[in-house]
Amino acid sequence: MGFLWSQLRLAVPLIYHGDRYIWSVTWVTLRLALISTAAASVIGLPFAVTLGLGRFRGRRVLQALANASMALPSVVVGVFVLILLLPGGVLGSLRIEFTLRGVYIAQTLLALPFIVALVPAAIQGLAPGLLQQARALGAGRVQLAALALREARIGVLAAVIAAFGSAISEVGAVVIVGGNIEGHDQTLGSAVLQQVTDYANYPAAIAIGLVLLVLILILIAALTVLQQRAGGLGLRFRTGAVS
Amino acid sequence: MTLLWDELKAAVPLIFHGNPYLFSVIGFTLQVAAIATVIAAVIGLPLGLTLGLGRFRGRRWLQILANASLGLPPVLVGLFLFLVFVPQGPLGGWQLNTTRRAVYIAQAILAMPYTVTLTAAAVQGLPSELLSQARLLGAGRLQLAALALREARIGVIAAVLAALGTALSEVAAIAIVGGNVYGYDQTLASAALYEANQARYADSVAIAIVLLVLIVILMGGVSLLQHSGGGVRMRFRAGPAAELG
Repeated sequence: MGFLWSQLRLAVPLIYHGDRYIWSVTWVTLRLALISTAAASVIGLPFAVTLGLGRFRGRRVLQALANASMALPSVVVGVFVLILLLPGGVLGSLRIEFTLRGVYIAQTLLALPFIVALVPAAIQGLAPGLLQQARALGAGRVQLAALALREARIGVLAAVIAAFGSAISEVGAVVIVGGNIEGHDQTLGSAVLQQVTDYANYPAAIAIGLVLLVLILILIAALTVLQQRAGGLGLRFRTGAVS
Repeated sequence: MTLLWDELKAAVPLIFHGNPYLFSVIGFTLQVAAIATVIAAVIGLPLGLTLGLGRFRGRRWLQILANASLGLPPVLVGLFLFLVFVPQGPLGGWQLNTTRRAVYIAQAILAMPYTVTLTAAAVQGLPSELLSQARLLGAGRLQLAALALREARIGVIAAVLAALGTALSEVAAIAIVGGNVYGYDQTLASAALYEANQARYADSVAIAIVLLVLIVILMGGVSLLQHSGGGVRMRFRAGPAAELG
């Protein structure tokens, strides 16, 4: 254990004394997570509410697709986004390949499945009488959507936190689309990868990893508290019989 | 559309004409997925059953911990393993860094939270009378576990498939521990990353397509499971969980 301990002792002061590189990477990561989660929420929520409330043909298939999209490997998303952004690609004229803006696009696509799959599940978990009553009382679509979102707010919040968490810890798509350029479009995860594999700078990797760990622990704690609140509302993978 | 189209046109022959590099990567990926999933199942199923069936102090806390482990960033798992396997590290004598074995171990550890938590959830989703009846009839622990495993088999299979999906598509941990060595310990995911970084976009697209096909097949299997067996499903879900308490 001597080695791990000595590396850890070198790493902690880097955080403590406010190493500029570490803080800039942390800031980039938080910005990426905020922007991609916000964009995914704005794009995904209308679709998610439609999926959760809708009574139309093909809803089941769409929902199966939304659930499956959570399993999309981030590397695959990264490769296809990069191909679109390269000069000569569909969005090549934007010239945002290997920039943070390109990474925003990739991460928004990766965050969308969380909104589109988890929010409908939260809405469908509401007491069925509630929405029927609102419908019977003549609520319009927008009113119904607002009611559903308000009542399912814990599930919606959990979906947003899950999307945020995926952005904080993403590596594959960030490295492919952004090119993992030091001090420019690196996130905490991709910086750890670079510090270990390119520079063998273990104290820096540990310091960055610790910052990432703290952020993730805060998010996990928030999710756990949400799970335990409101009479045991739970968000987790789960297998159970459909009633 | 030109570039995307060009890359696809260049990528497809790579897949169909049996590029040896691509085939070796596919072979290793399937090997990693199989080994990691088997390890995750052999260790994770008993843990999941204990967590799902057990009535001991601290069960609730252990379950919270297991659920939390689903959120652990793969890159941190990779960093930790790397430091443990470094020559000066605690297990440095095993010389595992940048070997295939390190890749197996990393993916198995990442797959484990899925087998543990989803098996526990599947078992807890069983009607409670079933297990209490078996207990009343004097079933021992092993008999009870076997019964629960059989009755919750669809959920358990779904847990194993989720583990398989993780082993197929995770990249960060193996890129650190395995070192992403060309043609040696690359999976489809890490090879796609590598080829993109080398600006060999057609190869990267070809590899990504193969990985996508594997994941689509897997998710097709999960969807079929969800709709079979009287409508048992597996997914993230937020809702009143009556049987949580």
